[in-house]
Amino acid sequence: MVAKIQVNINGIDVDVSGDQTVLQALNDTSIEVPSVCYHPSLGAIETCDTCIVKVNGEFVRACSTKLNNGDSIDTFSMEVKEAQTKGMDQLLYNHELYCTVCDYNNGGCEIHNTVKEMKINHQAIPFDKKPYMVDNSHPFYRYDPDQCILCGRCVEACQDVQVTETLTIDWERERPRVIWDNDVPINESSCVSCGHCSTVCPCNAMMEKGMVGEAGYLTGIEEETLRPMIEITKNVETGYGSILTISDMEADMRDERIKKTKTVCTYCGVGCSFDIWTKGREILKVDPQVDAPANGISTCVKGKFGWDYVNSEERLTKPLIREGDAFREAEWEEALNLIAEKFTEVKNEYGPDALSFISSSKCTNEESYLMQKLGRAVIGTNNIDNCSRYCQTPATMGLFRTVGHGGDAGSIKDIEMAELVIIVGSNTAEAHPVLATRVKSSHKLNGQKLIVSDLRKHEMADRSDLFIQPKQSTDIVWLSAVTKYIIDQGWADEKFLAEKVNGREEFVKNLEPYTLEYAEEVTGIEKDTLVKVAEMIYEANSTSILWAMGVTQHSGGSDTSTAISNLLLVTGNYSKPGAGAYPLRGHNNVQGASDFGSMPDRLPGYQKVTDPEVRKKFKKGWGVEIPAEPGMNNHDMVEGMHDGTLKAMYLKGEDMGIVDANINHVHEAYKKLDFFVVQDLFLTRTAEFADVVLPASPSLEKEGTFTNTERRIQRLYRALEPLGDSKPDWQIITELANKLGADWNYNHPSEIMSEAAMLTPLVAGVTYERLEGYNSLQWPVAPDGTDTPLLFKDGFPFPDGKARLYSVDWTKPIEYDEKYDIHVNNGRLLEHFHEGNMTYQSEGITEKTPSVFLEVSEELALERGIKDGTLVRLSSPYGNVKVKAVVTDRVKGKEVYLPMNDSGEGAINLLTSSQADKDTDTPAYKETQAKLEILQTDGVNPLPKVNHRNGNPQPQIGVQVERKWARKDYIFPGDQVKKERKTNG
Amino acid sequence: MAEPINKIKRIELTEEEKKRLELEELENALLENKDAIMESLKIMEHMHDRGILELLSGLFGQGDKVMNTLVKAMDKPESVNSIKNIMLLGGTIGLIDVKQLEPLLIRLNAGIARVADDFEQEDEKKTGIFQLIKSLKDPDVSRAMMIMVTFLKGMGETTEELKEEMQPKEQRKQEDNSKTRN
Repeated sequence: MVAKIQVNINGIDVDVSGDQTVLQALNDTSIEVPSVCYHPSLGAIETCDTCIVKVNGEFVRACSTKLNNGDSIDTFSMEVKEAQTKGMDQLLYNHELYCTVCDYNNGGCEIHNTVKEMKINHQAIPFDKKPYMVDNSHPFYRYDPDQCILCGRCVEACQDVQVTETLTIDWERERPRVIWDNDVPINESSCVSCGHCSTVCPCNAMMEKGMVGEAGYLTGIEEETLRPMIEITKNVETGYGSILTISDMEADMRDERIKKTKTVCTYCGVGCSFDIWTKGREILKVDPQVDAPANGISTCVKGKFGWDYVNSEERLTKPLIREGDAFREAEWEEALNLIAEKFTEVKNEYGPDALSFISSSKCTNEESYLMQKLGRAVIGTNNIDNCSRYCQTPATMGLFRTVGHGGDAGSIKDIEMAELVIIVGSNTAEAHPVLATRVKSSHKLNGQKLIVSDLRKHEMADRSDLFIQPKQSTDIVWLSAVTKYIIDQGWADEKFLAEKVNGREEFVKNLEPYTLEYAEEVTGIEKDTLVKVAEMIYEANSTSILWAMGVTQHSGGSDTSTAISNLLLVTGNYSKPGAGAYPLRGHNNVQGASDFGSMPDRLPGYQKVTDPEVRKKFKKGWGVEIPAEPGMNNHDMVEGMHDGTLKAMYLKGEDMGIVDANINHVHEAYKKLDFFVVQDLFLTRTAEFADVVLPASPSLEKEGTFTNTERRIQRLYRALEPLGDSKPDWQIITELANKLGADWNYNHPSEIMSEAAMLTPLVAGVTYERLEGYNSLQWPVAPDGTDTPLLFKDGFPFPDGKARLYSVDWTKPIEYDEKYDIHVNNGRLLEHFHEGNMTYQSEGITEKTPSVFLEVSEELALERGIKDGTLVRLSSPYGNVKVKAVVTDRVKGKEVYLPMNDSGEGAINLLTSSQADKDTDTPAYKETQAKLEILQTDGVNPLPKVNHRNGNPQPQIGVQVERKWARKDYIFPGDQVKKERKTNG
Repeated sequence: MAEPINKIKRIELTEEEKKRLELEELENALLENKDAIMESLKIMEHMHDRGILELLSGLFGQGDKVMNTLVKAMDKPESVNSIKNIMLLGGTIGLIDVKQLEPLLIRLNAGIARVADDFEQEDEKKTGIFQLIKSLKDPDVSRAMMIMVTFLKGMGETTEELKEEMQPKEQRKQEDNSKTRN
């Protein structure tokens, strides 16, 4: 609790809470002070000088002045108003007011609103054009220097929120402006197209191109006509009052045709939510909101600009039925009847376990729930899984073993406030861009320490305080050695262990072999470095460990995840703010797909199918017996197809034929199925093997909920009608279930959620009402709606409430024949998603990153004579890929990096093996070796000049307003007013 | 053995089928909005009769060109001035209190009627200075005179306050400043 202090505002004594600025205190009252550059998510920027007030007789900026007890504040004297007006005049000198014909005239323009609020009718300093052209070079946004008021919001966001450090303001030139890198066109800079700048811009200077010429009624006019219109608008001004009234009317009219819908991003697991603006089927822009719980104002290129796939001409709009060597478009009735008939046939002939179901981590919780219900209640099999089998199931396993809940221990806020963040095997800045910004920002501004363990020197490694590069698949060894060293030094949190954790003795015994010497030998990391790691953990009051596929996609993925959790338990880093385990979930709804029961051994809420009590409850709820034996996981299913036990499969929203490992093997398996149904937006590689393909609707065309990596359940609303005859997955599954004799009556996803909540203690209190708008709930959710942002505060979900130290050992990676001498690391890129079905539909993204490429180290390049653009072939025992090389210092030695975003000749899974994590069957994608041949030495660089990786960032803190104040022509408006009073008085 | 395929045979509707589906859609829309459509037809008929449809058709048909010409025509000092004046006048009209004005207007009407009457008889009467003074005794005339005097008084009153509402801030401030200097 912050203590209250007493201040005097305009002659009246009031109590306000201390520790805030004058502006914050005033915002809580009815007193309005203009504040153009201030943004609640960016704080005080101090560039606009419109919030000037008098505190104890002195002119100050309200946004940056801390309140003290007894302060006397004057917000409305003539002098104060005069100073504010002078500030505003400077802004209007830089910004032409032509609101009615401006695309930003949507009610939210800070300049428009401030002019109105301050009742400004004329400006003292006339607008004057700057000597710069509009920069239209970038595919997604444009910068108009003539409209830019130099408030610096964009720079603050780029430097300190997104921390890409591309934008600065060059304060020293005669007419300052925003510049990219060292003053290059936007498109040739290090800009990663995250969209922060256009999101926070208070006016139309930095604007999404989707808006330009589209938002207004009068803005789509040709430049030739528009210019005189702007002149007229300006010339007739008898004072801005009447002009603003007209533009306000026009803004109101826009509401008639522009629809603003809250949605949740459908790419990674961070769970960004935002408003999406649509006009008909056209997407004008993504408008992030301060209230969005996971991301606030933040987005990455995919969430902000990657929505073209929704309107792609390649979208399926009718069911397809295989007929000879082609698919034939069919009506729903025919397709669903055919599926029902075939499923029944297979079930009658071979039994229910000859069928299997795969849910999608792209689909909603409600759809995952229905898919597993279809398998279990309608067909009668537990053969149901989802794609988290390919990524994060080992992490869930590690957490189940140790702490009992398979999800992030806290929220993104906790990661942000941790004193120490350790990232193991996660390319966070590219795979979870918005989450990474919180680490980058805390590290840059708030002294957060960062340790990164990775093979590859990615952006987070570059920024870290300590970067360690263990040999591949050896993280568990250094993690165990550090844990042992901490215990040996007496640095363990013994109180926490005694009170909250079981199994210390046995665990310590198992750690015995993991000495620093042994770790150095296995991992290649020097002893001293490991000691440094231990010291940093010991010195930090809170440590959060983030990990992803670099840990899980190994033969011992579950064990390494367990070792991470053990380390956190030993150091007492659970159940307190800023601490805990964070397995970063890969897809928007990886967490939810498993939470809602698409797992072969678990019903919704991780209730075991082997538990008779649980089955009894579901029998009561569903009115049918639930099979007691756990079913097949994805991996088993592929084997089941090969050995003939699995005859039919229903798969939705997953291009398994590209993303599963060893895809040649998977494709052969598909061919053996009697009947294969795929449900997707596109005719994916997987769908090409199907007998029936059903056209589904993407997130923008339906309602439902997603659960992000923080266990946060969020609602999405329908922004567009389903394209053609496509349908939301929940509707398709319901219709199919009814064809199969079920009597389901779901009319809205909320009804599915209330049924799931009734049967699932983990989400008992989840209702659509509680999730209205930007409200969200982090599971477990009690029946009264109380949710759990930070787990384990009241103990661990085991019978005695204590966590468990779980002993694990190192599993050596797959050994390859000597000729496979290249280690093929693989993973994500920032701008493309997975096999690229969605992101390659974006012209802008494709322009900047047209194809997959292979990162080759400088050493290897020198040794083999590889250059940028050299075409190489990689061959593993399972297959080969053809791809063009890029030489970079992000990788070293004989390690190469192949992004996973290709569904053709460059698809990584042509190389990977069927070897998997021994505990969960998650493919060991990362344990891939190959040999490399050069096919053609000279070629075009697959990374064009306009790719952000070729940029040249300019790190600095904030917008550096001091440089503005140091200008000869700058006078603080407060001083100006004082001076004038003196001479005049 | 299901080999991968990626050819799609689209449902090709024959011209006739397409036409039939579209007609059906149209028919439904017509029936659903019967009243509104009948009403619209009536309006269209009137518009046609008066040649408005033809005019609009020309206007919309040449959209950008017309817009350009219009805007260019408007972008002249005199047009800009008239828009400006309209907006200023609009603001001024808003300041008049019609309720207060009403009795005055009624009297004005009566006055005009009398004048019209008098002028008809103009030839017969010759207006001399005495007659004028004499007419001051007439209660009707003296009431009118009083109204005029009151009006003149009101007009002479300070209008600072009203002006502030209509005037740009800068100007106001200068005036304020000069006041403080006094």
